[in-house]
Amino acid sequence: MDDEPLRLREPAHRVSPRARWMWRAEAGIEAAIVIGAAVLAPWLWDDVPSWSPALAIPLGVAWAIGLPEWRYRVHRWETTDTAVYTQSGWWAIEQRIAPMSRVQTVDLTEGLLARLFGLATVTVTTASAAGALTIAGLDRRLARELVERLTRRAEAEGGDAT
Amino acid sequence: MTQPQIAPGAPGAGRGGGAWERLDRRMLLVHPVRELGKFLPLLIGLVVAGTASGTWWQVGGVAIPIVLGVVRYLTTSYRIDAATVELKRGLLERRTVSIPRDRIRAVDLTASPVHRILRLTAVRIGTGLAQSGDDDELELDALDAVGARALREQLLRTPGRPLATPAPDLDGVLPTAARPAAPDVVAAFSPAWLRFAPFTAAGVVVAAALVGGLAQLAEMLNLYDDVERTDVSLTLSPSLLITLLALGGAVVLLVASVLGYLVTNGNFLLTREPDSWRVRRGLLTTRETTVDGERVAGISLGESWALRVAGGRSLRAIVTGVDRSDSSSATLVPAAPATDVEHAARRVAGDSAPVDAPLRRHGAAAERRRWIRALGITAVILGAALVALAASDVAVAGSPAWWWTAALGVPAVAIAAALAFDRARGLGSASIGGRLVVRSGSLTRRREVLRDRHVIGWTMRSTYFQRRAGLVTLCATTAGGNGRVVALDVPRAAALALADETTPGLLDAFTA
Repeated sequence: MDDEPLRLREPAHRVSPRARWMWRAEAGIEAAIVIGAAVLAPWLWDDVPSWSPALAIPLGVAWAIGLPEWRYRVHRWETTDTAVYTQSGWWAIEQRIAPMSRVQTVDLTEGLLARLFGLATVTVTTASAAGALTIAGLDRRLARELVERLTRRAEAEGGDAT
Repeated sequence: MTQPQIAPGAPGAGRGGGAWERLDRRMLLVHPVRELGKFLPLLIGLVVAGTASGTWWQVGGVAIPIVLGVVRYLTTSYRIDAATVELKRGLLERRTVSIPRDRIRAVDLTASPVHRILRLTAVRIGTGLAQSGDDDELELDALDAVGARALREQLLRTPGRPLATPAPDLDGVLPTAARPAAPDVVAAFSPAWLRFAPFTAAGVVVAAALVGGLAQLAEMLNLYDDVERTDVSLTLSPSLLITLLALGGAVVLLVASVLGYLVTNGNFLLTREPDSWRVRRGLLTTRETTVDGERVAGISLGESWALRVAGGRSLRAIVTGVDRSDSSSATLVPAAPATDVEHAARRVAGDSAPVDAPLRRHGAAAERRRWIRALGITAVILGAALVALAASDVAVAGSPAWWWTAALGVPAVAIAAALAFDRARGLGSASIGGRLVVRSGSLTRRREVLRDRHVIGWTMRSTYFQRRAGLVTLCATTAGGNGRVVALDVPRAAALALADETTPGLLDAFTA
């Protein structure tokens, strides 16, 4: 036994660089709605201060440009023969580890926006209601291979995964 | 090993032939009564209408439910053979539910007061899957009480399941004679337990609902107007009136919570069966649930603030594969004296260490976060109130705004500080003898114990502020309970050490 404290390293792989564009599009749409509302509101109602766009525009731009970058740096994943390890989030970062022997299902989701960028999301569920591991923004082909591989590994482990 | 004996011909037991059987004949009394109950609104309508038209309508109104009840009895049958339990019902739409016997994980017995008078018991057989559908469960409503018990013993001991008692014979019939005569009682209801009723969440909810309902009723009957109109000030001063109302409310709350507790938990009994835990409770409708020992992933010892003040605890089991909507099935001991509950907790946990051993504290940074949260939120609310009141510059009830802020603020800060202190003191986690033990909370503090092999994954969550403080919220996911056991604000290295100790080898590939 060594007294060196354990340190968890980050998962090995980043998600597809195109995921940044997907997140930019997502955050861009959200920011556009907020900025649009902030620009229009002072025109429509007198009691909304006229400086509201001056507040909304910098925040919206930071949201649309900064947030995707931040997400991209956090989002990582890795699988070994015995476990799946993911990291996601931005303000709150979540690292999830599930042993392969407890994997129940492996799902592939291709959302509308994700499809535009050739991306897909892989969700690995365990018997726990709180235990799904999600890898968003994977290259679609890689995602399919990953699902294939994980399904085969999980089957090989057997058991009822509870 | 004892020589297996053939069970005496208890009803429902040992019939391996696969003949379809009807439920107990006494259901001919229960069904029509129930149907009549369902038809009651219609019946009242008919009686009212019947005064105008002939009496035949009224006769039909009574006869139809009775006929329906008889039909229900005649069209319901069940079959139990060595491999499956089947239930067939319905007249026009026949429906057969069958459950393979080796998948049966739960057999619950329920007896309503009507059932109990007739010595009947409904048997609910389930596979205990979390995603409970129609085909996962069937109910034999009802069998003879003695027969139902024998059936339960038989069903819960299907071949291929580990046994602590002598093995059943080839038909899966347990040698009942070999079973211990006296049950191994872990916890039993005592009238003294009633004193904990007002300190339970259920008690508070029941009481609050009752008060809310009464207030609503009072409003509906215009009682408030009457109170205003009558010149109460002549007979009672307002403060006395308020005191009286508060006192009356408190008494009502107290009585309601005690009654609620008595009805739900009267007759409570927790016993240890050879390979399961059995909970019986209910004063009027009795319910017996059996929790397979294998499925008990852990325990959750409730140490809410109110219960701690009263010297009580409560105990729940973290059970895998139980429908989450059916949360009562996981209750092992209701609010009861700490010594009784902790004794039960030690029994269920297997030894005393997870219940009694001190936990590893989470350190100054984690405790500071409790203080910042409690006091910070209070400060923000008070500040806002002060600003708003100072700006409006009005006197409320004769006293200036600052006076009110101080009068409310000082106790608010004191309460927040007490809460922060208690929450900070409660934080802890440890790996004790093959179990993960965590504790957190104050008003709803729980000490949760989870067996290592039931940990099916880890989630480490940290917000920006947590990362700056070097803390992480470690969450062990499990198939039981609400899916997770959470250790709040653990120092990062301690969290990893805890996870590594709980699931050896899992983290190896990812640690440096």
